[in-house]
Amino acid sequence: MTANILEVTNLSVEFETFGGTVQAVRGVSFAVEAGKTLAIVGESGCGKSVTVQSVMGIIPMPPGKITSGSAKVKGEEILGLTAIEANRYRGVEIGMIFQDPMTSLNPSMTIGNQIAETLVVHRGKSHSEALAMAIKLLDRTHIPEASKRARQYPFEFSGGMLQRAMIAQSLACNPSLLIADEPTTALDVTIQEQILELLTELQRTEGMSILLITHDLAVVARMADQVAVMYAGQIIERGSLDDIFYRSAHPYTLGLKSAMPSNTGRGDKRLQPIPGSPPDLFSPPQGCGYAARCPQAMQICKRKLPVLTEDPGDSGHLSRCWLQHKDAPDVEELYQPLKLKGTSSAH
Amino acid sequence: MLSYITKRLVAGLITVWFIATATFIAMHLVPGDPLMNQKAVSAEIRLNLERKYGLDKPVVEQYFIFLGNMLTGDFGISYTQQNRKVNDIIKDHFPVSATLGILAIFFATLGGILWGAITAVYKNRLPDIIIMFLVILGISVPSFVFAALGQLLLVNLNQLVGQSVLPVAGWGTFSHMLMPSMVLGLSTMALLTRLMRSSMLDVVNEDYIKTAKAKGLSPLRIFFRHQLRNAILPVITVLGPQIAAITTGGFVVELVFAIPGLGRYFVQAVQQLDYTVIMGTTVFYGSFLVLMVILVDIVYGFIDPRVRLQ
Ligand SMILES: Nc1ncnc2c1ncn2[C@@H]1O[C@H](COP(=O)(O)OP(=O)(O)OP(=O)(O)O)[C@@H](O)[C@H]1O
Ligand code: SF4
Ligand SMILES: [Mg+2]
Repeated sequence: MTANILEVTNLSVEFETFGGTVQAVRGVSFAVEAGKTLAIVGESGCGKSVTVQSVMGIIPMPPGKITSGSAKVKGEEILGLTAIEANRYRGVEIGMIFQDPMTSLNPSMTIGNQIAETLVVHRGKSHSEALAMAIKLLDRTHIPEASKRARQYPFEFSGGMLQRAMIAQSLACNPSLLIADEPTTALDVTIQEQILELLTELQRTEGMSILLITHDLAVVARMADQVAVMYAGQIIERGSLDDIFYRSAHPYTLGLKSAMPSNTGRGDKRLQPIPGSPPDLFSPPQGCGYAARCPQAMQICKRKLPVLTEDPGDSGHLSRCWLQHKDAPDVEELYQPLKLKGTSSAH
Repeated sequence: MLSYITKRLVAGLITVWFIATATFIAMHLVPGDPLMNQKAVSAEIRLNLERKYGLDKPVVEQYFIFLGNMLTGDFGISYTQQNRKVNDIIKDHFPVSATLGILAIFFATLGGILWGAITAVYKNRLPDIIIMFLVILGISVPSFVFAALGQLLLVNLNQLVGQSVLPVAGWGTFSHMLMPSMVLGLSTMALLTRLMRSSMLDVVNEDYIKTAKAKGLSPLRIFFRHQLRNAILPVITVLGPQIAAITTGGFVVELVFAIPGLGRYFVQAVQQLDYTVIMGTTVFYGSFLVLMVILVDIVYGFIDPRVRLQ
């Protein structure tokens, strides 16, 4: 059995707003194995960023509040730590990069100094030692003329170069886990490819785990070992890359996949957006969050939340859907509305 | 950078010329002339005086003579103070005004940044509410009121202690300068506090603050190295115009605290229509302010890398 670098169990996060309480994350559990990549996918607003930012302890509190759950880094609980305590693992055990590299670096500090700062703080290096290491890090992320670049400011970098610098910065203390929250969304397609390439290469050379957030299944297919699909603040399916791509058990995942433009060359397969929109997280439905959009929705789906069930023939592959619930007492009754689906779920 | 400074200086020169011309015209539009204040003089003497000072020449000619002299750095002789050169008046009294102004700017900037940062940290809590109330007072109450209040405070303080803690008026030592410069800087401080507060609150929500947290930096380090520095930038941009505000405010404060600064001579000169002193001090102050605004922009360029390299 491989050791887990990060284990998140039953994490729930709320935001207190003027409009009410947003239940952004509702009981999320996942694990990232050593040296492996876990991808979290899902539509915009489903709680991906809030999940990982809660783990990092960087959601604004208030209005944010972690209402339950646990997150363990190498077996050590990290939720509920003070800022000072949390800094033993932030930037040390876990590095993080963000969606928009253009705004994620301090505009009035040189790139070199920003990277060096991490080493000064966590490794007790002198400024000049740290700066020399920062240049090496920039080199390692293939930034040309690293020593010159280290003296430049973020506005002198292109988006792709900035993301490389962010990666260099997050690697400073050799973290065992890199959290990448949509690291390529803000970049051009060709640059996206280069950044993913770099991440793959670094994972190979440094042996770190990656927790990759994306809403692009092509990126998932390319990078992930494990996949967790999120919907409306919950993980609705989780498993290996093959589980999700070839043996998907959840209607939402199937919907996502048919929404993905295919590269098979058949040409005619168009992007198919899933009709409807995710539920309101101010008052999430008591049943399955996907029921209102699900082509397979049954009566029980609206009344009762399906549990995350393991596929019997497929260990480690979980999905949260009544269709998977083989022990359901009234299977007949459950499946009945399925036959009528054309008429009953007209909305 | 160099061509930028040259461009600014040329623009500044045109501004100063404009100030000089406008002042000249305005001054001559006011009825009367500097000789009116002399004790009753006979027509003959008056004619002689006019000839001596060149007042008998057409106004346009006077203007060009004045411009020519100005270019050589000579502002002429005062009409009302016997044989005193305008250049000497400026040389003797401007350093006093400048010291007062610089101290005022210093207090205002320091206080503005400090109070602004505090209000941002305690947003919507008691310290914020109290300070922001005082800020509104500071912006809306004119400086001569604060000058009088400041003096009153010193009088009471000295009485309470039984000896002179701080002098109530006059000039000479640092203790003389303390109260007037604080009074003078007050409204600027209030303005900067408000600016700094909103700037700080903007910066807290920036992505790079999130990055700094994810890097595992201490809250103190994030505050000083990432938040404060970026929040100060927009505050510095208004310093140039604020120097002008402090300079003009200085006239009043100098008067109340009996400070022998240039402001007093300027006010006096306007009252007595002392042409040369008015022109001299106005053009001098104008050039000074233009230079200060350019200087602040250059300093800003050194602090903000984005400006520096363009
Ligand atoms: N500071 C906040 N205050 C109030 N609500 C918030 C806050 N941050 C996030 N939320 C809410 O939490 C929910 C999840 O947001 P999150 O940013 O995690 O989505 P996401 O899955 O990362 O989406 P995207 O793909 O667009 O980044 C959203 O409904 C959002 O409105
Ligand atoms: S539980 Fe029901 S509504 Fe939800 S995904 Fe499964 S079938 Fe669809
Ligand atoms: Mg996000």
